[in-house]
Parts: sequence; structure tokens; C-alpha cells
Amino acid sequence: MSDMHGLIYAYHASPSLGGFTESRTSASLPFCARYRLIDFALSAMTNAGIRNVGVVMQHDYQSLLDHLGSGKDWELSRLSGGLRLLPPFGIRGSHIGEYRGCMDALSAVQTYIDRILEDFVVLFRGDLAVNLDLHAVLDAHLRTGCEITAVCTENPRRGTSGACFVPDEAGVSREMLFSDSVPKGAVQSIEVYVITKALLVRLIDWSRANGRGHFHRDALAHYLRTGGAVGVYRHRGYTPSICTAADYFNANMAMLRRESRGDLFSDARPVYTKGRSSVSTYYGENASSQNSLVADGCYIEGELVNCILFRGVRVEKGAKLHNCVVMQDSVIGENAALSYVISDKYTVFSKGLVLSGNSRLPITVPKCKII
Amino acid sequence: MKKACIAMLLAGGQGSRLYALTSRTAKPIIPFGGKYRIIDFPLSNCANSGIDVVGVLTQYRPLQLNSYIGSGQPWDLDIASGGVCILPPYQSSGARGEWFSGTANAIYQNIGFIDLWNPDYVLILSGDHIYKMDYSDMLEKHKANGADCSIAVIRVPLEDAPRFGIMSTDDRGFVYKFSEKPKKPDSDLASMGIYIFTWKKLRAYLIEDERSPGSEKDFGKNIIPNMLQNGEKLWACRFEGYWRDVGTIDSLWEANMDMLSPTLIDLYDRSWPIRSRSPTKPPHYIGENAAIRHSIITEGCDVRGMVTNSVLSSGVSVGEGAVVDYSILMPGCVIGAGALIQYAIIGENAVIGAGAAVGLPPNGKTDIRIATCGPDSAVAPGETVEAGEMLYSVGGDD
Repeated sequence: MSDMHGLIYAYHASPSLGGFTESRTSASLPFCARYRLIDFALSAMTNAGIRNVGVVMQHDYQSLLDHLGSGKDWELSRLSGGLRLLPPFGIRGSHIGEYRGCMDALSAVQTYIDRILEDFVVLFRGDLAVNLDLHAVLDAHLRTGCEITAVCTENPRRGTSGACFVPDEAGVSREMLFSDSVPKGAVQSIEVYVITKALLVRLIDWSRANGRGHFHRDALAHYLRTGGAVGVYRHRGYTPSICTAADYFNANMAMLRRESRGDLFSDARPVYTKGRSSVSTYYGENASSQNSLVADGCYIEGELVNCILFRGVRVEKGAKLHNCVVMQDSVIGENAALSYVISDKYTVFSKGLVLSGNSRLPITVPKCKII
Repeated sequence: MKKACIAMLLAGGQGSRLYALTSRTAKPIIPFGGKYRIIDFPLSNCANSGIDVVGVLTQYRPLQLNSYIGSGQPWDLDIASGGVCILPPYQSSGARGEWFSGTANAIYQNIGFIDLWNPDYVLILSGDHIYKMDYSDMLEKHKANGADCSIAVIRVPLEDAPRFGIMSTDDRGFVYKFSEKPKKPDSDLASMGIYIFTWKKLRAYLIEDERSPGSEKDFGKNIIPNMLQNGEKLWACRFEGYWRDVGTIDSLWEANMDMLSPTLIDLYDRSWPIRSRSPTKPPHYIGENAAIRHSIITEGCDVRGMVTNSVLSSGVSVGEGAVVDYSILMPGCVIGAGALIQYAIIGENAVIGAGAAVGLPPNGKTDIRIATCGPDSAVAPGETVEAGEMLYSVGGDD
């Protein structure tokens, strides 16, 4: 039985993702033709044998609930434990409002956290596309003897808290730096932590008592100031941060590269997602397709170049799609020509429509739109 | 617990006419149409028809079949009050255990299972046909006609009739004559191997047939003729739509090719989904120099060559410069760079070396001879497998 308990933050909706997070949180953003971002966090946990996982949510979680169901698709529908969905516990008199940061979110579900039996908790951002070996992270955590271990990348990334560490030879850091001016050898947190349950509870208590809501700049900074140390686990695979529409587009396009795809998808640690019974994809007599990723259930009679197609997309005769991300069940009408377009689910592009964005400013089309 | 109708799915046959493809696994779980296995069709039809008890009779090489069916979850048949149940031959106290010796004997040996559900009707299915059918509709007609046995029939070209069990019916559809593979057929209504019996009647006939010496204990050869002879009401339920028997290499290949014409059978229809157990695979990737036309591709594939008129199951990889035409590539097989695959069936996890050539296009239209590479077989780089040749993998056993 795993000694780790998973907690996934899925309450956040990045405001710069435009229409895509209007009715869903970043964690339930569709990604790479058949996934939602939260699949990566859930799969990492399942693959590490973690059997108890809580998903912290606050609002706009309809889409997330629909996706997660009982947790069966991640083997987390269990007789005891398994997947637990954690909307805010509406305790009378407690702080209710927009979570300022992770500590508010954790504080809102503290009665759940108090009952965690495992010694270690994995805190995982629900909107990360990463294939992590959490066993290896726990090993590193146990090696340093720290109470908390940060999973870090050597490549600086935008959009996250920007918390950086400068680990010593033993892989331990006693200070935390933020964003821009970091020395050589600094690594940046991807916001996945292994933390002892005891420390987590202490940090929640401290944050609540002091009216602090953030994890890095409040709780972790306090912990380091008072003599704490953070273990550092270096993760080398591709780990995009998806905060803006352009990030989203680039991360999808990166999946067309074999190396990046290999970093996120491996037979050793598969990525699970909600099942859907679809047929295989059919390519018509005049279809043409290059450098594209296509899910099941599509019907393609047109042309695809550098595209990501989700399940059930229909590309009619003569339609041309270049550098597009098309989410599930959309229809591209005859002779339509789209380039640099990201379209949400159930969108219909009418016959002959021409729509061109560019790589830095892809055109985004919201859900259920008919153009 | 009582159920109005339960289904018994005969999945124990060896499927010996599929040779290499069934040398290690049972016929019902042969991959089909990219995403599916043959047994997905009757299982999905049951679930869609509201039949929620399905006994699956297994015998030949059941290992993969059992793990494929599992709890029945992919077909929504994992329910507490019934669901899918694997029924292997078993030993009973005192008597020696015995194998299923015929289709009727297989059901006979499971009378106990059927009686558990105390059903009014029993639907008998087999695991080697591709079709979509609403069994509940057939059941309603069975009741309305007061039949003892209803047999689903489909019109076939008269010249093909000698391959089937042929029914002659009166104008109300009642059967007055049944001939198994007649040389001179006097009707074009062929049995589809789908029966609904009133359980009390069938139970009595099964027991009687079991006692009769020399019986082959077969539905088509014994039970149906006996019922007809005794004046029971046999009704032929006409089916119109797509139905194919996939019991031979040629028919399996042809039916897969049919899947390339989505108008023949609509698998996109959300109201009648055919469900399958899917491996966990990423979307399929189409390479920079790939070309895919008139083909079916499934998740987990990695296609860098040219694929035309072909059906690719999940996790297939086709190397740079390889050409695949009029072929069926089953799950996990690997086609090396520059290989040429034509009019072939490549079994699960088979590996075709770079530059190898498997199969040939027909001489003219009728002379199609399919080359077959069995599951786990290997073709060395540059080697040739002739048209119509059959390659078995060496060693290994499950």
C-alpha cells in the first residue's frame, strides 16, 4: 500500500486562456487530442500506486465532474478511499470567497486533510502536462530527510509562481527565490511537492492563524525563514506550463515532436483518460494528412498539416487545416480553410469559411459556436 | 432473480478455418475493424437491446477471451444483478467432467446457469458475426407470433445459399422446411445463427437430444430439425442490414474491407454504440511523409509510410517508406521501413522487417489470395511472404 496521498489543485482557471476557461477550470482543459490536463496528475498518482486522491475544486467544476465521474478510468474507484472530490466545505463562519492561493484552498478542505492516514502527501497542480515518476520523487524525498521536496525543472517557465531553489550538493535548498533574477544553477518549481502530512497540517494552521492564503510566498517562505529546508527533485522531461492561449497552442504543437511526446507518453507510465466508445478514425479517398495527431472517432476527407484533432471531429471534402487544434465533435465544412485556429468542442465551421491566425496569436473559437 | 430473457453466447469454437490467427486465441476476440474484437458486436447488441445477463460459453484457448471480457465493464455489463458471466466446461461430482461436444450440448451443460434466472426466453448467439441488431425487437415478434423458436434470417444470393442453413417459410414467416447447407436450395433465407427460444421448450428438447444416441448435439443439425418435425412453431425473423460471417480468412478480410465503406454499417451511430475494451494509448500520429487514404486508423498508431485501403488496429507502427495496401494490421504489429504489404493480414504483435514483402495484388478481380502472418510471427528484413501463404509464429504457448 502506498504511503502517499494525492491532493490535486483543480480550482484555478487561468484568466488568460480566454474562452477556454469560461466554463471550466484549467485542470479540465482538453489537451493533446484526447486528454484533459488533470489526467496527467491522476495518472502519475495511479502509476505510483497511490490509492487515495483528493481533487480540490471551487467553482466551474461541472466539466471536471463530468470528466472524473467515479474515478474508474484512473483505477481510482475503490471500495475504500479512491477518488474524492473536494468542493469547499461550507463551514459556517469560515472564510468563503475566491481562494487567494493554495493555502486558502487547503484550508477549505482541512477536515479532509486531517483524516489523511498516509505519512506523505503529494501536492500536484491539476493543470500540468507532465509524466512524473512519483516513486522516484518519494525516494529523493526520503534520501534528503527534508519534510518537503519540490519537483523542479531546469528550464525556467512562465506563468507559475516562479518559485526557484538553488540546491546544494545534497539536493537541499534553504532559500527560495522568485522569478527574474536567479543565479546560475537555480531550478524552478513546477508546483508539485511531496510533503509530510505533519508539516502540511502545521502550514495550514499557521496560514489560517495569520490570515495568509498563498503557498509559496506565505507558507513556504515562512517555513524556510524559520529554519526549514526544501529537498529538490529534478525532472528533465518536457513540462509545458499552460497559462495563455499561445502557451496552450504551443504545448499542443510540441506534441507533434517525437521527443516531447515521448516525455509525456510512455508505455511504462501510461496516461489514462475518460473512456469514450468511438470507432477508429476513417480517412477518405481524397484525404491527405501530415505531421498530425488524431484521436479515434474522426472522419477525415480533407487535408491536415500540423494538426491536433480530438475525438469525433469531422473534416469534410476539400477542407484544409493547417496548424490547428480542434476539440471534440467539431465539424469543418467543405472547402473551409483554417490556419492557426484553436476551436473548442462542438464548433461548426461552415462551408468555404476562411480563417487565419498566426503562431503568436492563434484564433480561438469558443464552445458550440457556429461560424 | 427472474429475467424475461437472457443471452447465451457460444464463444468456445476453435475457428479452425482462420488457421494461424486462431492458433493461440479463440475466434471471438480476433481484432476487427480497427477498434473492435468480433465479440464486441454481440455483446454491444445485447447491452443495447436491454439484455443484461449474458453467459459466454468458452472452451478453446480461453485465456485472452476471459481477460478481454473481464467484468464486462466496457459494455456496461458489470452489474450486480446479472451482467456477463464466463461459462467454461466444468466437472461435477460423481460424473466425469466433459468438454462441450456441440452447440446444443454447451447449452445443455449450462441448464443450471439458465435456470438461475428463471427466464421465459433464451437468446442463443455466436461469436463470429459482424452486425448490429435489436434483439428486443426480435423478442417482441417472437412473443407476438406465439413462436417456440424464432430464427433470424437474411436473404442471400441463391448461389451462396448452399453455404448456409436455409429456411423455407410460409407467407406469415413460419418455417416449414429447414435444410442445412442444401445442394439445391429452394429458398434464399439463410439462418444467421441467432435464435430465440421459449426456454421451457428448449429445455425439454436439450434434455431429449442429450439422451438420443448418435446426435451431434448441434442446434442446426439436431434441435431445429427435431422441433420442426414435432410441429413446433418456428418463425423466421427477417433481418435487413449488414451481416457478415467472419469465419474464414477471406471473409474476415472482406468484412474488414467493408468497414472502409461507412455506409454499409454505421458505427458512428450514437444510439447503437458498438463498444470495446481499449488499451490505453495516445492519439495516432501521422508522420511528415505519410500518406493515408481510404483507411481506418486507431489510437496508438504511428504511421510514417503510405497506407491505402487498409484497416489498422491500435498501436500499429508503419515505418518510413513502407507501403500498406488492402491489408489488415492487427494490434501492436510493426511494419519495418520500406516494407511492402499488400492483400495481407498481419496478426497481433507480428514484426515485419525492413524491406520485406508480404502478399501480392490479385491477378484480375477474383483471384484474391490473402497472405497471413500469425500473431507474434516475424518476417526477416528483405524476406518475401507469397500471396496466400500462411505464417505461424514459432514456439510460445499461452
